[in-house]
Formats: sequence, structure tokens, C-alpha cells
Amino acid sequence: MTEKVKVRIDGEVIAATAGQTILEVARANDKYIPALCYMEGLSAVGACRLCMVEVAGVARLLPACTTPVQEGLSVNTTSPQLHSYRKIALELLLVERNHTCAVCVSSGHCELQSLAQEHGVTHVRYPYNYPKLGVDTTHPRYVLDHNRCILCSRCVRTCAEIEGAHVWDVAGRGIQSRLVSELQRPWGEATSCTSCGKCVQACPTGAMAEKGWGVEEMTKRRTVVSRLSSMREGM
Amino acid sequence: MMIQDFAAFSAVREAGLAKLLPSKPRIAVGMGTCGSGNGAEAVYHAFASEIDARGLAVQLVPVGCFGFCAEEPLVSVWVPGRPLLMLHRVQPNHVDEILNGLGNGRMPPAEIVLCKIEEWDHLTGHVKYGLGYPDVPSWNEIPFFNGQVKIVLRNCGLINPDDIEEYIAIGGYQALYKVLIDQNPAAVIEQIKAAKLRGRGGAGFMTGTKWEFLAKAPGPEKYLICNADEGDPGAYMNRNEIEGDPHALIEGMAIAGYVTGTARGIIYVRAEYPLAVMRIERAIEQARAYGMLGENVLGRGFSFDLETVEGAGAFVCGEETALIASLEGQAGRPRTRPPFPAQKGLYGKPTNINNVETWYNVAPIVSKGPAWFTETGSAKSAGTKVFSLVGKVHSTGLVEMPLGTPLAKFIYDIGEGGTNGRDIKAVQTGGPSGGCIPADMFDTPVDYETLAQLGSIMGSGGMVVMDEDNCMVDVARYFIEFTHSESCGKCVPCRVGLDKALKILNGFTTGTATREDIDAVDELSRMIRDTSLCQLGMSAPNPVLTSLRHFRHEFEDHILAKRCRAGVCEDLALSPCENSCPLHMNIPRFLQLYKEQRVEDAFLSVILDNPLPASTGRVCQHPCDDRCRRAGIDAPVNARDVHRLIADEILLTEKFEPMIQKVIERQQPTTDHQVAVVGAGPTGLACAYYLALLGHSVTVFESRPQAGGMLRYALPEYRLPKKVLDKEIELIERLGVKFQFNVSVGDGVSLNDLANQFDSVFLAIGTWKEGWVYLPGTELTGVMPALPFLEGVARNDKVPVGKNVVVIGGGNAAIDSARTARRLGADVTIVYRRERKDMPAIPEEIEAAEHEGAKVVYLAAPHRIVGDKNGKVRALEAVRTKLGEFDSSGRRRPVPTDEVIRIDCDTVILAVGEKVDPDFCKASGLKVKEDGTIEVDRYSLETSRDRFYAGGDLITGASNVSNAMGIGKKAARNIDKRLMGLERVANLIPDFEYEMETPEEPGESPRHVPGEMPASQRVLSYAEVSLGLTAVAAREETFRCLRCDIRSVER
Repeated sequence: MTEKVKVRIDGEVIAATAGQTILEVARANDKYIPALCYMEGLSAVGACRLCMVEVAGVARLLPACTTPVQEGLSVNTTSPQLHSYRKIALELLLVERNHTCAVCVSSGHCELQSLAQEHGVTHVRYPYNYPKLGVDTTHPRYVLDHNRCILCSRCVRTCAEIEGAHVWDVAGRGIQSRLVSELQRPWGEATSCTSCGKCVQACPTGAMAEKGWGVEEMTKRRTVVSRLSSMREGM
Repeated sequence: MMIQDFAAFSAVREAGLAKLLPSKPRIAVGMGTCGSGNGAEAVYHAFASEIDARGLAVQLVPVGCFGFCAEEPLVSVWVPGRPLLMLHRVQPNHVDEILNGLGNGRMPPAEIVLCKIEEWDHLTGHVKYGLGYPDVPSWNEIPFFNGQVKIVLRNCGLINPDDIEEYIAIGGYQALYKVLIDQNPAAVIEQIKAAKLRGRGGAGFMTGTKWEFLAKAPGPEKYLICNADEGDPGAYMNRNEIEGDPHALIEGMAIAGYVTGTARGIIYVRAEYPLAVMRIERAIEQARAYGMLGENVLGRGFSFDLETVEGAGAFVCGEETALIASLEGQAGRPRTRPPFPAQKGLYGKPTNINNVETWYNVAPIVSKGPAWFTETGSAKSAGTKVFSLVGKVHSTGLVEMPLGTPLAKFIYDIGEGGTNGRDIKAVQTGGPSGGCIPADMFDTPVDYETLAQLGSIMGSGGMVVMDEDNCMVDVARYFIEFTHSESCGKCVPCRVGLDKALKILNGFTTGTATREDIDAVDELSRMIRDTSLCQLGMSAPNPVLTSLRHFRHEFEDHILAKRCRAGVCEDLALSPCENSCPLHMNIPRFLQLYKEQRVEDAFLSVILDNPLPASTGRVCQHPCDDRCRRAGIDAPVNARDVHRLIADEILLTEKFEPMIQKVIERQQPTTDHQVAVVGAGPTGLACAYYLALLGHSVTVFESRPQAGGMLRYALPEYRLPKKVLDKEIELIERLGVKFQFNVSVGDGVSLNDLANQFDSVFLAIGTWKEGWVYLPGTELTGVMPALPFLEGVARNDKVPVGKNVVVIGGGNAAIDSARTARRLGADVTIVYRRERKDMPAIPEEIEAAEHEGAKVVYLAAPHRIVGDKNGKVRALEAVRTKLGEFDSSGRRRPVPTDEVIRIDCDTVILAVGEKVDPDFCKASGLKVKEDGTIEVDRYSLETSRDRFYAGGDLITGASNVSNAMGIGKKAARNIDKRLMGLERVANLIPDFEYEMETPEEPGESPRHVPGEMPASQRVLSYAEVSLGLTAVAAREETFRCLRCDIRSVER
């Protein structure tokens, strides 16, 4: 599908290819729409709901990451309502688990943290859940800290779609959902894991990190995934 | 027997008819899950063994449910040539008599005969059972079925679901045959579109359009899915449809298979429906054997087959993309659309999903045409919808009604109103994701658009009725708890948002939430609704949003007054009786103290909760009776008469004087605050009493010469002897309350004077202005309002009453007037425009009036009063009324007929309600509402003027003694709180130590009721009618209390 279409994003007319999603078109044209579960090179799942946008003529809000563009589509990426909903979503993520930036390896390089700053989340209006969660340190090179996981499933998709190992998945449901490796085997004992570490690079927070780093020291190399993805598609 | 041509089809049809209408009697037992749960299996086996033992020529078959679940087990009995007789609540011990009747033509016992069916339109065919049984109502003459239109349920409960031949006999599979012969799929899709059939799973998408998408999608691999994953609490229509008529589902899917070019169908059914699974699987096997499924269906070269897949019970798997994921063996989590299932569905192939009920409409539309289908229902929503009507409604069951039917029809006509006469408060439509619609909106037509406008949804058709015992905050909390635990966890708003919403709502049910939490949960709910990924999240906040919209006051009550009116939220109530008592008397405590034979302590407990315990013990409306859990065993505890006796044992004996000292001991240190109370009725007395106990200096202004208000001047002596009231007032005076009689506000003292002299002013002027109906003839001599009449008698004035008195009205004042007039020697007739159960008067009082010889004419509205030439009353003419539509109070509105009745009389007493006389507050800075009552803050009772409070009938309109006193007590608490800056009422109660043990397994023991004077003697004097309980009976009564105030039991 290479049909060219014209769409409007925040009033600006932009040329796009039919079949692209709103988020793809926006990112390609330097239009900012916040997102956490979206990652270039992976299938889009529409789970974080931060990329909700207003589309002219559609009564409800639509996720930019999974809504394909059509000729004449007109999108609003910001509004007071969208801002307030995004802020609530970020607050919900912050109270769901134990996000303590001050002791986190990813502090300063964390997507959740920067989105919270960007949206003016100075405090949360909901009570903290303080769940008792473990840290999986069984892998020789990497560590998984459930306290910092936001269940975006970027690691799940990276492992399944790029590496082809599908070590990760989400078990349980609702507020009890947990990231699991293999069939709840500790990461270090997961025989399907190739130790490629791409999941660690894909993780937006400090939930997955390389061992050996201190507070604020873990930076991630995100481009590797989209590069691998385009190499595979090129093959 | 494989059917490959029309001759074979006809032969099967004949064979089926011979089973449906055999030459011998046929007995069909309703054996759906509802029937079996009520003992239908035992009934069936009793029939089987008895028929076998007697060697009777009787055909016995199991059928599905006919819909009236409250009356299961349903059994239908047919004797050739006679109507089908539907029996209800059949037990194995009825079997003998039913079978005997078959031989000698005798009817089964009358109490189990429900209705008859002379002929039945199966839509695809017509069955004539026969005529007869003139005394038995036809099925649609009984309220539950009246107005129902059975399209989806056309066969349920009448044919054997396990026998394909019976289905073919009533025209089944003919529509499929026709479609296969016509070979015009596009025309069938057009028919479905023209019929405006919309998805019955809740979303209401046009079924024809969906089929068209699938028909146009590239093949050959496509799928049809039937969504039978019915998981809503309180909804079970899909289960009963499959259990009662599985072949109609198969036929609908096979037709869709042909017209959309699809060869495979899957029925995704809940594993929790084992009977439905068994019946549909058996039906599929039979359909294959008869050539309705498989290769070369009906010899027409079309191939289609069905399989069932059992869902593991996740609610979210009712969402189509989650259902598809589940079928593919993945975790049941929804995904975003697009792509839609019609483009990329099961295994990435084009797929169409319809709800069970949608498929049931297909065959009738094909046979009878779209024009026939659109005759039923509303303009935008054609056809019918099956609802499961459950909850606090008298008749529960499956109800199939045309779309667009008003809610009132379901609840008051079909469901016959609330259980045990309780007032219905709301109905929740659409399962856990639906919304709550309040009773005053029951004229709402039930269709997709209107429900959506009210913030609710049609859903799959659950209809849960709630009454005054349901707390709407708790209902909202319950449904959020459900959707929260069924959330798949994929998207943030649903996973975390519902968890937070639940925590906030928990705060309301425990009374710990704040005003800000109302806004917080409202905003969060909107966010969840607007941003969630799938329909579960998008609709989950509906119960909260609609409850906040329609029942915001309940949320406010929980946090601002720490009050759950329904008594559901246990943290906010001591016990159901305490919660229902306007004075919040600690009823279990005084019962227990009396049980321990500590009469003084019991009295102290009573008097500190209620300053007029002997008076209220005689005349209270006793709401505690309605809430008493003992009613579930035998009858409610008679708390009212026990506290009457406790009060009498002290007030009317030499124990009075020492007890006064004990009450004074509880008095708080004197403050320097002065409070004025205007009005010495029950409201004013209660307020003055508590303020005095709290140490304030209180002056009561009263326009009449004595205190007591309505208690003294409106309640007749035979109900409340004034010597009892005098003692109670004496106690209040002894606490230091000063009375100024014969002073009325505006006249003797102005509101400004009061404002200058007192720190706070409490206004409690009752409703002394008699309501007046303007009838021709009210100017005649002999017409009088009830209050002046009662007051005149109470003062021993000479009241001009004739020999024949008519009382108009149905409240307590009407009954009191009638009984007083009887004592004056008159013949009395009460005329009331509604039915007896609608009368606001206390039921025991109505009964007593009748015993004393008063006649009551119900359903008659006064029309005019006829006078003679001297201007005196001669007769009353009244128009007979009949009951019409339900009004917003849930009572049927009386509608006048042409019939006029005439009652000869010389006196007419009007008791049509009393009103506030708001003249005194002109230019006083007090805001007056349209009905004449004074506007106050609901929680603090403060008026629009600073330091002025108002209460009693002045703010509520005419009410009753206990309600009035409850408000007086609340006013005292608020006035004291404002003066002293802290809550002090609880300090008045001493630490009573008493046993905290629940009774061992309570057995049945009857309620003790006080003896009464015989009616013949009663009318001769004003002596008190009720003799009260004896001390022995009262103590025995205390043993009946179940001690709901005790929370945890260690055993």
C-alpha cells in the first residue's frame, strides 16, 4: 500500500502513506505525541493510552499508535482534556508499583520519569498501592525489578518479534498482572533466553537493567531494535 | 435419517407433529437450569416412575424454561383436544393427582394451575392445542406474560430441545431450506438489513451490515462465531435460549453461513453452563444426522458445520477480540480495532461474531419477512429483546418485550412491583457495565439510544431491580469490584484506574472519604471510560457515573452525615433497627438491658436516645419493624412496645422522681449560651431537651397554652393519653427548659427580638394549615378540616358532628378523625382515591378503624359535596377511579371513570394533608421554598439566616412524630457543635456494660403484641385502646432480638 494521503495534525497539512498510523506520521514529521508502550520496530498494542488523540468527526478518543490514517483525517494531539487524562494515566502508573527515582539506575534516563516531568506531575492524587514485589537477579548479566515495571510489554514484543525467543509474557490479570519469563521460571534458568539483552534496551524504565550500574547510570540504546527490525524486513 | 429432499423433510415434520400433538396426553416438565434448580428433576422422575408403574399411555418429555423462573418448576399438561395447561410450583407430591386427573378429566389442584395456552404461534409454524378450561386465564392474561412478545423465546418451554423432529414440526429449518432453494444470498442480507435487526450482545450494530462485510471479504476461509459467553451477574437469557431451543441457533447460523459464504461456525459457550453445552452439542449431532449440518446440507450442495468451544469463564472473553484470542489458544486479552474481525479475525481470517440472541431472530425474519419484524419495537430498534428481570422485584424471570417498552412496564406490570411492598429505588440495566436508572425515570423506553443517553447500556439484557434496602454507593462499589477483578490488565486506565476507583469507593462505604473524593472518582471514571482499550474498561465506570448523577445525595450522606440510609454499609450503622430509627435509638442495647432486668438502666438508655419514649412507644410508625432481621425467621421484634413499657414502668410509677435525678446527673456543665426554640411540638421538645442536657439555657416559645404540639392537639386521647405526655414534658422542664406559652412568633415576639436575645434560634413550627381541596360545596355547613376537628375534640370543645360523617383522605389524620367521629357516635365512611396498600396511615390503625365500624371506600375521588336548601351538607358525590399508569412514586395513578357514587352524610371531614403556614417568616431573611417549607442545609439544618436553624414539619412538610423528633435531635447536635466547636452528644450516654453474646440458634417464637380493648367498648369512650405489653411479655420479647449490633462472633 503506497497510496498517498493528506492528513492534518494540529492544523498542519502533512503528506502520509495510507496504512501508516497517526503516531508514525506524527513522529516522521516532528509532531510530538507522548507514548510509553509504543516502540518503533515493534507491533503496536495500544496499552498505555498516553497517545490518545482527538480526531475530527469521531466522538471518542483514539489511540494514535494503532489508528491508521485516511485521506482528510484531522488530528488534535493536545487539549486540556487530553492533558488531564494523560496526567491521570501517568499518576496511575506511578502509584501502581514502587517507583522510587532517587534509588533507580535509570533515573534521569527513564521515559516514565520524563513524561511525568513533562506533564507537570508534581504529586499523585491517588493512594500508593505499595505492592510487595520481588527482584529477579538470577540472570548473570541482567536484572529484572518488578517494582519498576509498568507492563508496557515492550520487552515481550522485542523478544518475540525481534529475537524470536518469546521468553517474556504477562501472566495474571488486572492489577495482579506480572511479567514472567518462560513458565514463571527465574530469568537465569530460562532456557529459551539467548541473553541478547535487547529486552533490557527496550525497557522504558529501570525495571530491566544491566548489572553493575549505580543510581542514574543505566542508559539504554533504543535504536538497536528498529535497526534490527528494518534489517529483518529487508531480508 | 438424512434429509436430502422435500418428501423426506415433510415426513420428518409429520413424525414431529405426532410427538408434539400425540393421540395421548402429553406432559412436559420445564427442565432448564432454573427448573432443575427448583426440583424439576425429582418431578420428572416422579412422573416417569408413576406412568411406568401404572402403565399409562402418557407421553413425558423434558422441555426448556417457559420464562417464569420465580414459579418453577413449570409443568405443562396437554390432553388431546384441550388447551395446554401450564402448572407452576409443581412438586413430586402433586404427580399423583395430576395423573389421576388425566383419566377422569379433573383439573389439577387450583393452587398449581398457572394459565392455559389454546394455540401458539411459533412464527415458523402454528400449533392449535384446543379449547376449554373457561376458568383458567390464558397465558397472556396473567400479569407476568401480559404484553410479552415471544419471538426469540418462541419455542422455549414448549418443544423438546433434545428432539430435532419436534423443532422441524413447528416449522424449524424451513427458513434454511427456503434460503438454500432460493439461492439468493444477497437478498437474504437485504432482508436482515431491512428488518433493522441489531446485535443483541449490547452494542447494537446492524447485523445485516456485519454479514455484508463478511460476505464481501475474500474467502474461502472465514468463520462465524456465536458469542455465548454470557458472564454478567444476574443475566441468563442466553443460557435459557440454548437450553430451551438449541436448533433455532443452529438454523440461524447455517443461514448466515450460506449467505456469507462461510463453511465453519463456532459456538463459544461458557463452561459454567453444562446443560446448555450438553443440549447444543446433542442438537449439533442430530442436525448432522438429519442433514442440516455437514456436507451437502439438505441435498442442496452447501457445506456448513458447527463446533462448540467452552470458555473458561473470564468476563472479558465476551469482548470479541478477546474471545478470538481465547479461541486461538492465547490469553483472553482484547486487542485494538482496526483491524476489525470482519477483516482480520480468527486466525487472521474474516470473522463475524453475533450474540446468541441475534441468531434466534434470523429464521423468523427469513420466514415472515422484514416488514413483519419491524412491526414490533421502536423506529430505530426493531424486534424484541429478552431481559432477565431479577433482584428486588416480585415476579422474576425471562421477559421478552418489544424494544422501546418503558421500564415501568417491566417493573410494575410484568414484575408486579417490589418484594414485600418495598419501594423500588432504581433499576440497573446491562450488567456490571450498565448504569443505574432511578425510579422517577421509569418512563424511559428501553432501547439502545435512550439507555445510552442516560449513561446506561442495553448490554446483553440484565435488569436488576433495587429497592430502598439497596445502597447505591455499595452497588457502584460492587460492580467496580467485579470489573476490577475481571480486567485483563492490558491497558493502564482499566488495570490501575479501576483499582484506584475501587479504593476510593471503599472509602465511601466506610464513611472515611471526603468531599474531594466525589470529584476525584468522577474524574477518574471519565478518564477510564474515555481512554480504555476495550468495551470492558470503557463501560466499567457506568455504574459509578450514573450513581453519581442520579444518587449523588447518597454519596454525600455517606461522608458528610456518616449515614447509609439503606443500612448496607455496616461501618456506618449499629444495626438495621438503629439505622432505620429517625432518633437512632440503640434498640439492641435497651432490649438487652431490659432482658437483664435492669429497668432503670434500660430507661436511662431509652430516655437519653429519645425524650418522648412513652408517646413514641404508642404512635411511632416503627420503621424498625420493616428492617428487623428477625422478620426472616418469623416476625420482627416489637421494639416499640418494649420501650413503651420501659417508659411507662418509670414515668407512671414512684420510680419517676429518682430517675429524674439520674437523668440530671448526665447533664453537662452549664454553659453561658442562650438558645430559643420556637414551637413546643415533638421537634422543638426534642431539640430543647438535648440542648438543656448539653448545659445550654433554653427557652421554648409556644403559641398554644400547653406543650406537645400535634401530640397533644391532634392525636386522640385513645391513642395517646395526655397524662403520659405530661410526665415526659415534666422531665424536660426539670432539666431547666423554660416555656413561654401563648406567644407566637410575629405576634408576641419577632424573629429579630429572638436574634438579639439568643445565641441561636431553632424554628420548629409544625404544619397547622389544613390543606384544602377545592370542591364544589366546601363552603357548606358541615364541612370541616381534620386538624381543627381533632384539636377541638382534644380540648373538649363542643364539636358539631352529625350522624353520618364522611372522611376524605388516607393518612393518619384521616383515620384519627374517623375513629374520633365513631366515638362521637357517628356512622363513618372514609373515602380514599387509591387502594388500601397505598394509604400512608399506619396499617394497624386502618385495621382498628375498621374494627370500630368505620367503612372505607377505596378507589373513589370526591367530586362534589351536595347541600340542602339551608346550606347544609346532604351527601358526597365521588367518582369511581380505576388504576392507571404508574407514577414516579411507583403507585398506580387513579384515573376517573364514568361511575359516580353518592354517600348520604351531614358532615364531611377533609384530611388531605397539612401545610406549613409560612406567613411568619415574611421579610425575615429566611428563604422559603415553593411548597411553603423553609430552606435549610440538609446536614446542618441551618437556614439562610445566620444562627437560625429550622426543623420538623417546617422543613419536610407534614411528616410524623419520630421523623420530627429525629430532626430536633439533629438540630440540637448541630447547634451545640457550632456553639462549642466540638461534637458532644455522645458524651451524654454513660458506659452501659451489658452482655455482648448473640443468641444460640434462634428457634421460632411469635412476636408479642399488646392486648386491646374490644372494639365494641372502644367506641364508647376515649380510653386508651392499646393495653401495652405485660412485663413478662416484654421481657420474652427481648429474647427475640438477634443482636445485629454484635459484629464478630467467636465460636
